Amino acid sequence: MTDSFRADELLFSDLKMVTPFIDGMIHKIRALGCQEEDAFNIRLALEEALTNAIRHGNASDPRRQVSVHIEADSRQVAMDVHDQGKGFDFLHLPDPTRREYVNRPSGRGVFLMRKLMDEVEFYDQGSGVRMVKRLGGGL
Amino acid sequence: MAFDITIAEHEKGIYQLTPKGEINTQTYQQFEDRVKTVIPAARALVLDMSQVTYISSMGLSAVFRIKLAIEERGGTVALVNMQPKVQLVFETMKVLTPQMFASLQEADQYLDKFLDGVQKGTIQPRKPLE
Repeated sequence: MTDSFRADELLFSDLKMVTPFIDGMIHKIRALGCQEEDAFNIRLALEEALTNAIRHGNASDPRRQVSVHIEADSRQVAMDVHDQGKGFDFLHLPDPTRREYVNRPSGRGVFLMRKLMDEVEFYDQGSGVRMVKRLGGGL
Repeated sequence: MAFDITIAEHEKGIYQLTPKGEINTQTYQQFEDRVKTVIPAARALVLDMSQVTYISSMGLSAVFRIKLAIEERGGTVALVNMQPKVQLVFETMKVLTPQMFASLQEADQYLDKFLDGVQKGTIQPRKPLE
């Protein structure tokens, strides 16, 4: 079992890249002894962050990239996802679970990230997000 | 994990669909496209989620669009046998929680009541979202 790992990657804005990339990262995170429940939550939060970065941040423009920085050890997993878009108003997102919004077919990604991770912090007008999951917790 | 889905018509217009694998950024479109092939002929869809190991918000949105599409035709959808982690994602987002059932038997009871309501005219097709 490894003690820690660090990854710095640049991804093109192609949704097809997301699942293979996450599979590789989760494989390394599991090798740290991460429980299945934490691995599920980290996988989901990372997918939401990458999908938002590609679709909304970079508007799926193949010339734009997404940078991903991950530091993980047996205590926590910290992830930073940064796109090349203009950002968004992360302070005024509607709660997608409220009655007036629950019938909307989209707009759930950021809410999920906040529920799944212990810390979620947007920066650079929302074009970057840092997330931390302390291992051994739950949803 | 590769994604697959099996579709069976148990009674006229009542389909049981069994997706297998992850419903994620890579597979949600395949899932949605396959399910939507039966919607024009469907009165009810039973999604057996027992072999779905993961779902992201793209997958949730696909399930939600399927729900709206069938409801606009006067039908309904029931989700059964969810794995706990997947169920927790649905519950956290409050998506389709009234239509989630622990077993096919429970889903059948819901469908019987629903289809009876349709026949009596007490349940009407949903108006399309604006």
